[in-house]
Amino acid sequence: MEEFSYIGKDMKRIDAACKATGEALFTADLALPRMLVGKILRSPHAHARIMAVDTSKAERLPGVKSVVTARDTGGDKWGVFKYTQDQQFLPTEKVRYVGEEVAAVAAVDEDTALEALSLIDVAYEVLPAVYTIEDALAPGAPQLHDVYPNNINVHVHIDVGDVGKGFADSYLVREDTFTAPEDAYFQGEPYAVAAQFDHAGSLEIWMPNAGPHLKAKPLSNVLKIPLNKVRVRKITIGGAFGGRSEISPADVICALLAKKAQRPVKIVYTREENTVCTRQAHAMITKIKTGVDRDGRVVARDITCHMDGGAYSSTGPIATSVPFLCMEQAYRMENVRYNGYRILTNKPIRGMFRTHGRAFACGVDLQLDRIGEAMGIDPLTMRLRNARQTGDTTPTKSYVASCGLTETIEKAGKTSRWAEKFGKLPPYHGIGIGCNSVQTGFPMGIRGGSQAFIKLNEDGGVTVITGIVDNGQGNDQMIVQIAAEELGLTPDDVQLITADTEVTPSDPGSYSMCETFIGGNAVRLAAQDVRKKLFRIAAAELGVDAENLGAKNRKIFVTNNPQQAMSIAKAVRIALSRNESISGEGSYWPNVDGKREWVKNPYGQLSETFSFGTVICEVKIDSETGQVKVLEVTASQDVGFALNPKVIEGQFEGGIAMGGQGGMLTEYLQWHEGRVLTPTQLGYLVPLAIDMPKINTIIVETIDPKGPYGAKEAGMSVAMSSAQAYCGAISNALGVYFHDYPITPDKILNAIEEKKKRERNE
Amino acid sequence: MSSGRTRAGGTKRNRLSSSSHSRIRCKRLAPSLESDQPSWPETWLSWLSFVTDSANPPFTPEKALSKHGEKQNNILEGHMRLPPFQYIEPANVEEALSIISTHRETVKIMAGGTDLVNRMKLRLIEPAFVMNIGKVRSMDDIDIGDTETVIGANTRLREIAGAPLVNKRFRAIAEAAFQVASPAITNMATVGGNILQNTRCMYYDQSGMVLNGLERCRKRGGTVCLAVKGGKRCFSVYQGDMAPALIAFDARCVLEKKGSTRTVSLTELFTGNGAAPFALEADELLTKIIIPNPEGIYSSAYRKLRLRGSTDYPLASAAALVSVTDDRKVTTCRVVIGAAGAAPKVIDGTSCEANFEAIAQKAYELAEGVDNLQMPGAYRRKMVSVLARRATKAAIDGIKEGM
Amino acid sequence: MNELKKTAITLNVNNETYDMVAYPNRTLLEVLRDDLHLTGTKESCGEGVCGSCTVLVDGTPARSCLTLAVAVQGKEITTIEGLHQGEKLHPVQEAFVNHHAIQCGFCSPGMILTAYALLTENPNPTEEEIRRAISGNVCRCTGYAKIVEAVKSLAEKGR
Repeated sequence: MEEFSYIGKDMKRIDAACKATGEALFTADLALPRMLVGKILRSPHAHARIMAVDTSKAERLPGVKSVVTARDTGGDKWGVFKYTQDQQFLPTEKVRYVGEEVAAVAAVDEDTALEALSLIDVAYEVLPAVYTIEDALAPGAPQLHDVYPNNINVHVHIDVGDVGKGFADSYLVREDTFTAPEDAYFQGEPYAVAAQFDHAGSLEIWMPNAGPHLKAKPLSNVLKIPLNKVRVRKITIGGAFGGRSEISPADVICALLAKKAQRPVKIVYTREENTVCTRQAHAMITKIKTGVDRDGRVVARDITCHMDGGAYSSTGPIATSVPFLCMEQAYRMENVRYNGYRILTNKPIRGMFRTHGRAFACGVDLQLDRIGEAMGIDPLTMRLRNARQTGDTTPTKSYVASCGLTETIEKAGKTSRWAEKFGKLPPYHGIGIGCNSVQTGFPMGIRGGSQAFIKLNEDGGVTVITGIVDNGQGNDQMIVQIAAEELGLTPDDVQLITADTEVTPSDPGSYSMCETFIGGNAVRLAAQDVRKKLFRIAAAELGVDAENLGAKNRKIFVTNNPQQAMSIAKAVRIALSRNESISGEGSYWPNVDGKREWVKNPYGQLSETFSFGTVICEVKIDSETGQVKVLEVTASQDVGFALNPKVIEGQFEGGIAMGGQGGMLTEYLQWHEGRVLTPTQLGYLVPLAIDMPKINTIIVETIDPKGPYGAKEAGMSVAMSSAQAYCGAISNALGVYFHDYPITPDKILNAIEEKKKRERNE
Repeated sequence: MSSGRTRAGGTKRNRLSSSSHSRIRCKRLAPSLESDQPSWPETWLSWLSFVTDSANPPFTPEKALSKHGEKQNNILEGHMRLPPFQYIEPANVEEALSIISTHRETVKIMAGGTDLVNRMKLRLIEPAFVMNIGKVRSMDDIDIGDTETVIGANTRLREIAGAPLVNKRFRAIAEAAFQVASPAITNMATVGGNILQNTRCMYYDQSGMVLNGLERCRKRGGTVCLAVKGGKRCFSVYQGDMAPALIAFDARCVLEKKGSTRTVSLTELFTGNGAAPFALEADELLTKIIIPNPEGIYSSAYRKLRLRGSTDYPLASAAALVSVTDDRKVTTCRVVIGAAGAAPKVIDGTSCEANFEAIAQKAYELAEGVDNLQMPGAYRRKMVSVLARRATKAAIDGIKEGM
Repeated sequence: MNELKKTAITLNVNNETYDMVAYPNRTLLEVLRDDLHLTGTKESCGEGVCGSCTVLVDGTPARSCLTLAVAVQGKEITTIEGLHQGEKLHPVQEAFVNHHAIQCGFCSPGMILTAYALLTENPNPTEEEIRRAISGNVCRCTGYAKIVEAVKSLAEKGR
């Protein structure tokens, strides 16, 4: 392994200081000259026909500068995919959930805007609504969209091998159902949009996003202006977690208000709007049937999953597929069938989430635990026996180039002292394990690749120009480390222009965990391009072949005689003095199967590589209150290579908080007739500092053949498998298996009481 | 904003233009919107009457949304923006009493602001006047006397939680204050405010986005209960932490009005009716809490249940005060359960000699639990019982430790 | 509709005095962000729960989203912008940066001020005391682990 200056080091992040001082500007912090306050009028009904919208009184209110309704849009329907185009951003005919956008105003201040909203009259004809998967599928149920009969939005069907024969050949077969209600991203930063149009017809727009280029094209389509006039700007972003990727109604509405008023407009969501009116995570019912051989190895699996998608498609096909794909990546199985259904209901929209599919993932793992128990095989061994290995091909035909899952299981097992604890803990004290795997990038067609440019200054400093976006996970720092390393500069010499669609070339965004793999590779290639050009110059100057050169600390030197060197700045100036402009370019397109499609053809290389993770959790339960005290969590992930170990640890720790501590113990949305009753910080409970346990982090490096320096992605597999570990631990502590999540104290108490009753009756 | 000139003393002074307030009106320009707008003078007049004629405003919340939402709750939806009010800061208690005597129900009293400001943002209440008594110094004190202890209603919870003598002699009260919400809230919140906090319910503490499609519930002056189908009364829950602990010590409260004062047991302050939880007149101010110093050998405890380790209101709570004679005979056992209905409820455990099971059973019988908070009512009811037992045991353990 | 009257108020923020005109129904958070352009203090919930709006009022952490601007005249208000000394970060800010206690940064101003206030009052807190003190500051990114490490590192220094 080479000796790196910056790669693999725990360097502090370049964006940290400005965030520590409060200087870093988030969207809601922007103040543009003459900026107006935008507010959105929302539907109070879950399902209703819009009979009339009268905005005349609002328009006449002094201080109101623009009002928009569906009349101001083309009425076109948009969708993430061509076959899911079902959403208008201001609906023309009917509203389909409480909170859906109906009209909007921009005014000189917030009070005027709110007053204007109250002056807008909307007449509705209320229609019957459906709020659950069962109700939506029932015969005669009200249909949300004409194009989705029976409210079935997406059906993903995968069938590999011979599942029937597999079950017939199995030593043991189990079937279980697992359920969980909706959860929420609950990003620290509530959603906000700021937009302005100039008289050249160009839009400038800011919003927290998981990829500005993913936002720009839909805006271009909806507003009917070319892409070069849609400038989604770089802004500090307060978390995405799988959200904020595709265009949001607020984006379009803000742009329209700004266009009409010919003044900048800013819309800032409340916490409630962020939870309800931006897409959130699915509720799910998962039925899993698994057959194993005498050694506990899975022979066949048949899974049916129903997801509650809310009123529109959003990233539906992806969400419907991902939990299954994560499972088939993590575990070997020859014969597998999957039927994933995304069902529409009159509730706010759902989409992909960082820890999407707790009912699915916990179901898979818990079932392995139950099967193992019946066969006298402990959960950790069950994972080892079924773990994915390097060189495998998944059932849907993805080749796995690097896989450290077994290593993560073994190391987590050792650190957590699994063998000493499992089966040997006192009552109400338990330990559990979860494993999962995550893609690094999905096939995204023409937007699946990343390109980076590097501009050089005459003093040897550079600016890296890339579409990579940082949601807080540390992507900007990653760019600096890669560029500085490859170019032989120091981090101080590297400036960034990122995530600005006017300047930066296309990049798939952080949405599919590919910024390190795809974006990072593009940056590395661009830096190598510059390096080659500079080395050609230096080789001539120093009288050696280019392959005998190295670069470090702003110098290009001869590798076996480092005293023979010249500064990078000098090399740049030499080029310029020869009237040669000098810059770098690099692009990376993942080697995935371009014909693979979520619904139509769910087979082929899904992403170029995968990360793998294991979490082990130890808990103690208060048998009188059902409260769970989490004693210790050990998390291990195969990240390929740790570009910055501290950053990766931070991702593990945050992932455990979201997926495990929150996702398994306290986080879920409560509803009343399509209305979210728990949208705020007192209703939706995310973990607090006092709740978090001791966390051990173990980084496993398999050096992926294609990742930059071998790196893959940082932390998603841990985030996902945390819930599974928590679920297994609680189940182990009580000797009762939980199939419904989150596992709140009332459920634990009920389980304890039922178990006592059963034991008394025996 | 002019550039800051440094004054003697080193602090910069900035003079901001008067446009830096919330209600900027474009009164010098004609509104410039659609071509079918009314003529300039008409718009100007209607705006003028809006601003100056507060007795007959051109719109009221009730009228404005009646077409938009079919139901009766017309609340400005979820925008967390405070409604208009006049702000009054009385210098002393007399001034405060005079104000509430004059303005009665139109005044809402703000102490720390942590309860009131929240509800105003949700537009659950829109008082004409907000009276800030948080700075009245005479109401901010802990005075531990020989026979009784007086705590001013303005005393910050943080101070109560941290006072060594309160921790020693009134442990349950200190524990309760410590566990309210989170540290920043206890820095601001007062004991009087905590006692007089409104009852809560998942179908009441919501914004217009939820409520504008639902019928008006009993707590809001309507005729239905949204939490309990067919419910004949309001089931909102009193979730204050301080009251159960104070009641365990048999606290009394001093209620002053212009010209007279009355002192009642803290239990009498509660009506038990979620729709109107307090027997407090519109011209009365809670100024002090008086706690008789317990005699002999005693200890106390406060236990609170929430899903997280901080921040949240109690889903169940219990306070216990137990005192014994030298030969360990129970002379007092007062257990008070909270988050168990619209008011704290008292269990006298003296006759059963602080028997845990009897107290737990009684707590379960008294506790109310419907599905209107985070956890199901049945669970919360059980937890009230568990905490009653735990608080009693902790008090007794405290006595044993001391002996 | 209820009457609304402007008042002249004077606010002391980060050792600077601001003479301004405000309506009573303006929270301190709104005045700080919109009128004084001190956008470091954030709004993440509006109901005093998440701690992103934390400022120090006379040295103790307070929820600026629940504080009326007119009610804090005469108090010393410290926002995140008041912590650093010119170009130099305050030691608490340094520790957060060095220990990777900042990811998206939205909770950081409130978190840093809370940590600063804790260490001022208690220079050597235990881990439990640290966790309890920052439990009124919600962080969705870090899981709090490195925030606690950052504060601990300062506690040990204070010994």
